[in-house]
Amino acid sequence: MSVYTSGGSPVAYPQRYHTLPTALLVQAEQQDRTLKQSEFKQLLQFFQSGAKRLDIATTLSQKADEIVSTAANRIFVWGSPMGYLDPPPNRVNLPGFSTGFGQAAATAVKDAKQQAQRTSYADPSVGLPVDLVNNWVEWLKFIAVRDIDPAPDNFYRINILSYGTRNMRKSMRDIAWFLRYATYAIVAGDTSILTVNVRGLRGVIPENVTAATVVAIQTMKWKSLGYFKQDAEAQAMIRQAFDALITEYQVEKPTMSVREGVSNQQQGLQLPEAYLLSANARPKFLIKPGMATTELLASIKAAYRQVFERDITRAYGLSLADLESKVKGGEISVKEFMRRLGKSRLYRQEFYEPYNISRVVELAVRHFLGRGLSSLEEFQDYFDVISKGGLSALVDALVDSQEYSAYFGEEMVPYLRGLGQEAQECCNWGPQFDLFNFSASVRKVPQFVTLFGSYQQPLPNQHAYGASNDPLETQFGAIFPDSDAKEQPAFFGKDHRRILISSGTGDPHDLGRVPGSLGSRVLKLSQNLNGHHAQGESMNLLRNSPEAAILGAYRQVFGREVYDGQRLTAAEVKLKSGEIPMREFIRQLGKSRQFRKLFWEPLYITKAIEIIHRRLLGRPTYGRSEMARYYDLCAHQGFYALIDALLDSAEYSEVFGEDTVPYERYVTPRGLALRSPNGTVDAWHNGPPGSSRRLTEAIPAAAPIVDISEGGNAWSWMMQRANRRSLVRLPDQPHSSNGGQSTPAAQPSTTTALATVESAEGQPVQPPSAQPSEPVPAEAPSQSSQTMTY
Amino acid sequence: MLFNILPIMSIITKAIATADRQARYLTIGELDVISDFFDNSQQRLRIAKILTANEQKIVNAGTQRFWERCPVTPSNSGNPTYRSSCLRDQSWYVRLVTYSLLVGDTEPLEAVGTEGAKEMYVSLGIPLRNLAECMRCLKEVALDLLPLDDAAEAAPYFDCLIQGLAP
Repeated sequence: MSVYTSGGSPVAYPQRYHTLPTALLVQAEQQDRTLKQSEFKQLLQFFQSGAKRLDIATTLSQKADEIVSTAANRIFVWGSPMGYLDPPPNRVNLPGFSTGFGQAAATAVKDAKQQAQRTSYADPSVGLPVDLVNNWVEWLKFIAVRDIDPAPDNFYRINILSYGTRNMRKSMRDIAWFLRYATYAIVAGDTSILTVNVRGLRGVIPENVTAATVVAIQTMKWKSLGYFKQDAEAQAMIRQAFDALITEYQVEKPTMSVREGVSNQQQGLQLPEAYLLSANARPKFLIKPGMATTELLASIKAAYRQVFERDITRAYGLSLADLESKVKGGEISVKEFMRRLGKSRLYRQEFYEPYNISRVVELAVRHFLGRGLSSLEEFQDYFDVISKGGLSALVDALVDSQEYSAYFGEEMVPYLRGLGQEAQECCNWGPQFDLFNFSASVRKVPQFVTLFGSYQQPLPNQHAYGASNDPLETQFGAIFPDSDAKEQPAFFGKDHRRILISSGTGDPHDLGRVPGSLGSRVLKLSQNLNGHHAQGESMNLLRNSPEAAILGAYRQVFGREVYDGQRLTAAEVKLKSGEIPMREFIRQLGKSRQFRKLFWEPLYITKAIEIIHRRLLGRPTYGRSEMARYYDLCAHQGFYALIDALLDSAEYSEVFGEDTVPYERYVTPRGLALRSPNGTVDAWHNGPPGSSRRLTEAIPAAAPIVDISEGGNAWSWMMQRANRRSLVRLPDQPHSSNGGQSTPAAQPSTTTALATVESAEGQPVQPPSAQPSEPVPAEAPSQSSQTMTY
Repeated sequence: MLFNILPIMSIITKAIATADRQARYLTIGELDVISDFFDNSQQRLRIAKILTANEQKIVNAGTQRFWERCPVTPSNSGNPTYRSSCLRDQSWYVRLVTYSLLVGDTEPLEAVGTEGAKEMYVSLGIPLRNLAECMRCLKEVALDLLPLDDAAEAAPYFDCLIQGLAP
């Protein structure tokens, strides 16, 4: 299935591990309560031990090399294991290197540098005999040691020579990592970071070195304990971390958590155990006969939170006493309880009456299945149920579904199956996460159905070519402009091209010649063989004087008139004397220091290409395929090659030739709208400045039907719609009364005409012979094809 | 409610995440930051305890003061649902402040309490100006209960709340 639209993707951070405070808070938050006294006590202990934890972490990281080498010397023989320990990668100043704290940034950078310099790593091949001796001396020390944990029976020392360099590097790296994660766990006061990272590692590391790894961890623990001989509390913390490390290491690799597919529309998915482990802090609630009253109440509260999205006893001061007593007495199961909650008056009042049916279905799926809708087909099934049998039939259908019994059974209270709870389908993320928010019940518009609708029929203004969304539009100062379209970004593939609006009458030869036209003024500096400048058709000296052309060139290339000191006087003189043509002059401007500094160095590559393209060729790029060519050029040959490529292109020769100053020929619809003094929205509804024509009408009407393999359906639908609309509106067109004989003065300043749309195969597509929005005399249909193909 | 999407980040979690990404031990600078966090954690824990113990009192007194200042507001209109949801939301916000105090970061407050909340209240027809005033009353009442230096520690969290909900 091809998808052209998206429901937006909220930023979702995977939960990686817990610290003690976060682990406590997440649980309290889930149950909507303040912290208990016992939890406060735990926190107090944690905070009181804080200084000690940091002390341990500092000591262990300072002695890291010592600890690691002790462990390595114990398990390896015949060589110097420390030689295989790679220095930590120095990522200072590379992308992604951030310290997270503003104030710590400088020190962190410094520390990282120092750390990289401090550890000098010996070459494994040099000094072998000495190391061999040390290696055995270390070993002898362990025989005398009494307080170290006993090694497993099947432990034997690994011969470095036969183990191989590659394996050695990996092993040393792992040993250093174990120590590092242990220090993290000690600081965090919670071993979940070890659980997440180490559980099941046994299956990854070769079977025959399992015992040796355990011994290495034991040795590191022993060595670390040695630094805190007098301090029982510190020893307990270290022991806790390393013991957790050993236990987790020895556990069998856990199986993947599977999300079952319950229908043909929903496939089964797997979730790596690490995600589940790191998110596991949310308890699930069960109701069983013979449970303690407090647990029972907690479970009932959880059921209320799931179905009503809030604690109803506190919110509305009411409770469903009758149902509650039944479920407490074991008369009805949780499943039955959920069913009756769904059929209660309160549920009807809160989640049925205020909404339209589509939204009711979406919310009900959240409440009873703990997820969002997955496909249009699924929605249709439930919609069918609710329209035939009403809300109670929908509740029955959900509670009796196979999925409900597979996940929750009779005893478990349904829960939200969000990130970390189980694998997520790779679709509908935006609505799905919005649905899990506290504010979901406030949103009245059905989100999933609208999105499913957009999947099938993208609306014009969601389309890449459409009104509010041109992803490639470049605006100075705003890389990602704030717009309404953000929620539903358009699909913009490699085969798509954007509509460009001609800024002029549309006829390239007409530009600037029609009096009263407000299109770009064309400046020309023609030179005859003698180097004298020929006069243009106009007698206006100001317009065609060399000075005016030069100023115009600066304006076009730099976007403004440059300061006197920045002008390229040498090139100007050459141009005036006829030594170089205008094209050469533009080239020199393009390659000048200022231009490079303005439009190349400070910008990221896409934006740089886009702007330079507009400056030198006078139009935005068509789309990705055109950009791709320039990326390649820039990557391999750089800035100057890009300028040359643009100026030597066939398009430049054809349009500007040797002596015309480049001018802005096309703009994007959005770019045009942005220039409206009243803002974008106004321009879309009332037309661009100086024109009474609406952009929304003009664009699709002028666009020919194209067959682009990917976006074909969307296009044809748009075209049908546009044609229908423009046919209806035809009599209202301001120019129709003139019968096409519009005087130049009545000409709109900016006419919309389609630049170029080619099919993906490169075949130029002929525009429709008559453009409904721009009536032309019937005897001259050929003139209306204001289409240029490149 | 949001925590399954956006985990609570504490100062410690952030530091470890950064260090882990770069495969290095915690640096002196990071340890200093965490150490500061530990140093004044006793105080923050004390404040959180006081706020938790007096939650009902704060909410009731705050509501009274709020109604005195803004007599015309949905929660004072006599509709029991509006009144009880106003009380519920206030206690919810007090609770969020205690959470934030404990992790020493306004992130839980922003992620759960203020981001998108404004839109939610607008669509519920609750005037934002009154809402902000309500939070201000909550702040004043809560800070009255605390000694001076504790109040100074807790005030920024309430301010963050007020700013996040201000129209």
